[in-house]
Amino acid sequence: MDLAHQAVLLSGVLFAIGTVGALVRRNIIVILMSIELMLNAVNLAFVAFSRIWAHVDGQIFVLMVIVVAAAEVAVGLGIVIALFRNRESINVEDASLLKW
Amino acid sequence: MTGGPELELSALAPVAFTAIGAMLVLLGEVLLSRAKSFLGRPITDAYLTTLLGFFSIFWLILTAVTAGQGLVTGSSEVFNLGHPMMRVDTFANFAILMIAIGGILTCALSVTYLTVLHVSHGEYFALLLLATCGMILMVSSVDLMSLFLGLELMSIPIYALAGFARRDLRSNESALKYFITGSFASALLLYGMALVYGTTGHTSFEGIRGAFDVQGPVGLAGLALLLVGFAFKISAVPFHQWTPDVYEGAPTSVTGYMSVAVKATAFAALIRILLEAFPEVQGRIEPVLFALATLTVVVGNVMAVVQEDVKRLLAYSSVAHAGYLLIGLVAGTPEAIAGVLFYLLVYTFMNLGAFGVVASLAQQGRDCERIEDFAGLARQRPAVASLMTLFLVSLAGIPGTAGFVAKFLVFAPAVQEGEVLLAVIGVLASVVSVYYYLRIPVVMWMRDPAPESVRPEPSGSEWLVLTLCATAVLVLGIFPNLEVLEGQPLLDLARRSAALLFG
Repeated sequence: MDLAHQAVLLSGVLFAIGTVGALVRRNIIVILMSIELMLNAVNLAFVAFSRIWAHVDGQIFVLMVIVVAAAEVAVGLGIVIALFRNRESINVEDASLLKW
Repeated sequence: MTGGPELELSALAPVAFTAIGAMLVLLGEVLLSRAKSFLGRPITDAYLTTLLGFFSIFWLILTAVTAGQGLVTGSSEVFNLGHPMMRVDTFANFAILMIAIGGILTCALSVTYLTVLHVSHGEYFALLLLATCGMILMVSSVDLMSLFLGLELMSIPIYALAGFARRDLRSNESALKYFITGSFASALLLYGMALVYGTTGHTSFEGIRGAFDVQGPVGLAGLALLLVGFAFKISAVPFHQWTPDVYEGAPTSVTGYMSVAVKATAFAALIRILLEAFPEVQGRIEPVLFALATLTVVVGNVMAVVQEDVKRLLAYSSVAHAGYLLIGLVAGTPEAIAGVLFYLLVYTFMNLGAFGVVASLAQQGRDCERIEDFAGLARQRPAVASLMTLFLVSLAGIPGTAGFVAKFLVFAPAVQEGEVLLAVIGVLASVVSVYYYLRIPVVMWMRDPAPESVRPEPSGSEWLVLTLCATAVLVLGIFPNLEVLEGQPLLDLARRSAALLFG
């Protein structure tokens, strides 16, 4: 198995770790980091596939994902700060005003 | 490819209008808030919001007119960057028209609502225009890259809009929940895109169609992840849990916009990607769509029955409507897809109308949201109560309203396709829905108002939105074939848009 295929496998593992992290952790910052990990797994997969197909489309996609992820995290942290100012907690279980 | 990419910038017109509008709104807010007066009136929060709101409506009307013209002439413009990125054709124009109408109505609604909620900031309209820009990009994209970019450009401003009342804990919580579920869904969708790209070597829909291996497990896993991502956006069961929480906590005008425009966009993009990139897989994903449609219709309607909060009730109703729309997708014929498009247009009017009534009843920084809060509304504001009744009756799909025509146009092709079971489930669920929709009119018309309760008079712009929505609901319900756009009924335009994708 060559390097590119190994990278694809690694990206699958990273994506799984990110998914599990986002689902089981209760700290919002850790959840944000897990989602970032998922996005970076995607980037790795794109770069590896781009190498396998020997063209640059995948790498261009990665550049776009990086930019979008930065914007997303900026808004996400903004939301976390707004919540923290009002509630002094970054545990998702405390965000429980709205249910059923 | 020879001769280098041809830049056809005219395809970018709708995207450009909204993006430029958003920039100018931001600029305008800074300049106006420093000025003492404008057009002879002192600058107050309410005045500033009104100015910027109507300025945004101007750009959205430009977008809608451009889309309407393209729809009438049947033009198809391609934006090329090496290979086609966006194609603004009849289908895209129809979707853009819906989105722009949703945007216009939301802006008009927000002008008063933001002031009542004490959050009159101009950025609201900039975010709204940017989200609209992302939606337009998403429905016209024919490449995974532009699709992803559009999706995020739509979602990120809406995360911020959901938390716009930033001193309100419930709005904070709504934004947080939407952000976490939304970005999680985007990540799943993106990994799906990566797998599809990995197995086909293409990001363009056309390339994927030629190279996609229907038997390959990796490609199918990618398609499954794509579907999950979209299911989150259209809030199909079991990916709907965020919907009621987010709809309840977000400012009502934002909720209305989310429920119509985001849903219309996600459906249009889903239809486009399924038909243009994965036409061969139709048979394999039909059972999946079937299960999603059944679950969504049943769970949405059953959960709506027990709600006490109007916004939450409308949230579950929006889940249920996603289910009806999925029934059209399962049938998958041109006629059914045309029905789905028409349904989305009708849904824009009836749902924004209902949310418009809820928003217009807000006072002193809080919403009128419990069902009991509606008690005796017919006594105090008979016109508002009548409009609300009309919208709810239409949502329930009672004949004479647009909601009935739309449901018929989705269910009839499903029966023709042999999906009788699904159509029967849909019709039975609609019967259940009559119960919970009519609870509100019953409270409005048959109960006495709470003592000392005061109802605000809807402002001029709110009246405008409510009457426009009501007219559309009645006209499309009684004369669905009325020739509105230069002698062309909307229904025919929907049929032509759908036929294009099968062409």
